[in-house]
Amino acid sequence: MRIVLPLLVIVALLLPSGAHGDNRVVAATLDNGLRVLLLEDARSPIVSFQVWYRVGSRNERQGATGIAHFLEHLMFKGTPSHGPKQFARLVEENGGQDNAFTSQDVTSYYVDIAADKLDLVIDLEADRMQNLLLDPKEISSEREVVIEERRTRTEDDPGGFLGEEVSSLAFKAHPYGAPIIGWMEDIKRITPDEIRAFYKTYYVPNNAIVVAVGAFKAGDALERIKRRFGKIPRGKMPPPVLAVEPPQNGERRVTVKKQAELPIVYLAWHVPNQTSNDAAALEVLSTILSGGRASRLYRDLVYQRQLALEAGGDYSYFSIDPNLFWFWATPMPGQTPEKLETELIGHMERLKTEPVTDEELARAKNQIEAAFVYQDDSIHQRAALLARFELIGGFALKESFMAKIRAVTAADLTRVARTWFAPEQKSVGVLLPKS
Amino acid sequence: MIRRSALPLLLVLAGVLVGGPATSAPLAHREVLPNGIVLLVAERPAVPIVAMRVLMRAGAVYDPADQAGLANLTGAVLTRGTAKRTGPELDSAIEFVGGSLQAGAGRDSLTVSLTAQKKDLTLGMDLVSEVILSPSLPAAEVTRKVAEIQAAIKRSDEDPGTVAARALGRLVYQGHPYAFPIEGTRESVGRLTRDDVVKFYREHARPDTTVIAVVGAITVDEARREVMARFGSWARPTTALPSIPTATASGSMREETVKRELTQTTIMFGRQAILQTDPDYFPLSVASYVLGGGSASRLYTRVREESGLAYSVYSWVAPWRHGASFAVAAQTRTTEAPKVAVMIREELARMGREPVNERELALAKQYLIGSFPFRLDTSGKVADFLVGVEDRGLGLDYADRYKDRIGKVTAADVQRVAAKYFPPATFDLVIVGETK
Repeated sequence: MRIVLPLLVIVALLLPSGAHGDNRVVAATLDNGLRVLLLEDARSPIVSFQVWYRVGSRNERQGATGIAHFLEHLMFKGTPSHGPKQFARLVEENGGQDNAFTSQDVTSYYVDIAADKLDLVIDLEADRMQNLLLDPKEISSEREVVIEERRTRTEDDPGGFLGEEVSSLAFKAHPYGAPIIGWMEDIKRITPDEIRAFYKTYYVPNNAIVVAVGAFKAGDALERIKRRFGKIPRGKMPPPVLAVEPPQNGERRVTVKKQAELPIVYLAWHVPNQTSNDAAALEVLSTILSGGRASRLYRDLVYQRQLALEAGGDYSYFSIDPNLFWFWATPMPGQTPEKLETELIGHMERLKTEPVTDEELARAKNQIEAAFVYQDDSIHQRAALLARFELIGGFALKESFMAKIRAVTAADLTRVARTWFAPEQKSVGVLLPKS
Repeated sequence: MIRRSALPLLLVLAGVLVGGPATSAPLAHREVLPNGIVLLVAERPAVPIVAMRVLMRAGAVYDPADQAGLANLTGAVLTRGTAKRTGPELDSAIEFVGGSLQAGAGRDSLTVSLTAQKKDLTLGMDLVSEVILSPSLPAAEVTRKVAEIQAAIKRSDEDPGTVAARALGRLVYQGHPYAFPIEGTRESVGRLTRDDVVKFYREHARPDTTVIAVVGAITVDEARREVMARFGSWARPTTALPSIPTATASGSMREETVKRELTQTTIMFGRQAILQTDPDYFPLSVASYVLGGGSASRLYTRVREESGLAYSVYSWVAPWRHGASFAVAAQTRTTEAPKVAVMIREELARMGREPVNERELALAKQYLIGSFPFRLDTSGKVADFLVGVEDRGLGLDYADRYKDRIGKVTAADVQRVAAKYFPPATFDLVIVGETK
């Protein structure tokens, strides 16, 4: 079994522990390729144990959208040794909390539980990584649950409905255009055989990360993880996602009507992810535009001029492939979506010509840094953050992240605004209440 | 991100107030300051942040009958200016250091919340004390917030869960202030003025009903010194405390249907239950958990796992200071709504008819007791818990007592409270969706 301690960890071991107590991550890659990250945090006798699979809606093909999320539901439907419904029962009767989520890039499972139950969780997670039943009867009843979930999130939710329209408009070639929950027809159609094949392809140890933070001894926890997960054979490396979104050659626009009380406007531009030198500047830009009540969009559109009930912007720093920078606004009654669209674009244009103030820049950096410190208060958040960095290239990137943010200048913001937010390269979605 | 199951916020909050810890170490230091403020301090030195909560008895329950939404408006305007700073200056000051300063009213109380790094605590506490002791409640800010709240109410009309909860509150608490939505109605909020806000705040913000919790990288001595320096001279008024009647059920069970053009129908059953101070509160918590509390509950198993009829189905107890309710909710495709309503009624009735089995009982008890540490795993959650326990008069040992009392609940106890509180005919019902 191969244990890899990255250089940064070795350095950390030699340094006195910081203000947050013990910050040493013990990292290992098992022989079967499973990546393991462990961090001791003994403040409370609890542990957050998380398994992150490198598979999400980006790995789906047309006609089978939603399969990653469907499979996530089925991960709670039993193995030969732990029958249907037993996973949640075992966790709850041991005082634990569990849940899971699927995103475009990952499927993540967690159990937060008393530290002395770690073996139980290791056993359950290792078991369902390899031995899922995928009983057709369970699949058929869970399909109805997923359909209900789609109705709640999309069909009956104006914001969810519009977001799906804009994503599918912005991406022509890349699977990010499809909804994570899947198109309704796909959810209804996907067969048990396809789900089984998807599970076998992506739920292999060499495509997963185990992260645990809590009251354990890392060396001991690693041994237990090896004992149980180490027996799972390495799988074939899952196929890479080859799709690359071509440049957008003109503005794209969609208007939908839906039972709703107020309109919604979404704007989306294609932007690079964290592999780009512009990523830190985009992160800061997003904070200047919409991080808190002092941010530009809130202060101008919501507070000073009361044009919007809500307005904001969002950048996905951690996206595996280049994704969208989103803006949204809900017009106040009496205001139109056209007006808000013009105002949002006006803010973007202003960033291209006028440097942000020193105060705005410093505030955004302080907000990003403070958010990091706050995350350290929860073992669950600490584990999730390690996983997020590991997914984009290594948990140690967490250490260099703030340095990159701190290095961003006002000129960088002007440059990225000019580079990535051309008026003719946006996608626009407008939802109008059905009268 | 799409989660497998989403626990409603209300359920989580109710849980925070009823959990029990795994240890019997005192949760916090408690003392009463000379002007009546109750100060609670919990030291959590590992992470250099501090969470502070200042709870005042100024919640929506104190809204005059024709002024629903007044407490909520007051909370919204509180951070919009002080004797020293304008609202935007307050926002800039706290956000420059990456901190957060919020104020808002709930049913029973109005809470000002601060999260800041330890190094910025002086600034943070200065802002909190300015907001509480010298808010300017500017007229222009009241006007802005009235428009914003009215728009938010309008928008929330498109969310079937909110529409159902609002209608259910009106039925369950008929005749009591809890019957009105915290945010009021567009009409009631439209009538509110700055004078109303100033009067409400003057009458309800007072040290002798205020609870302050300071949690995080701070010692008891530091916390006391900093709080005394800012709030020590806040004078206790001589006027009597306002009294609120305890809610009592009306006895007439009603059904209400709200038509919406949606693919799903939202079903919400509700009735009044018992206060957290009632000994039967413990078996009721267990009963609710067995019925619809988690992924192993009867409703989740039958409606979701076995029948595929819903993504969301759950029950919860909402314990407020002057009344409590128990509710069951589900969202299902419109054609199946009658079937799901029947299942819920059957499961409610079964809880009173036969005892829960040993495994169900053990699971519910162990979950309620064992998951508690996660409800206190951040400084913010500890601070919320402390002010809540103090305000309800549950005592700092409540967590331990709760654990002990939950541990003693028997199948017979569960059946007894279910027979009393779960008969289906005693529930009000709201249905939101497409109707024929």
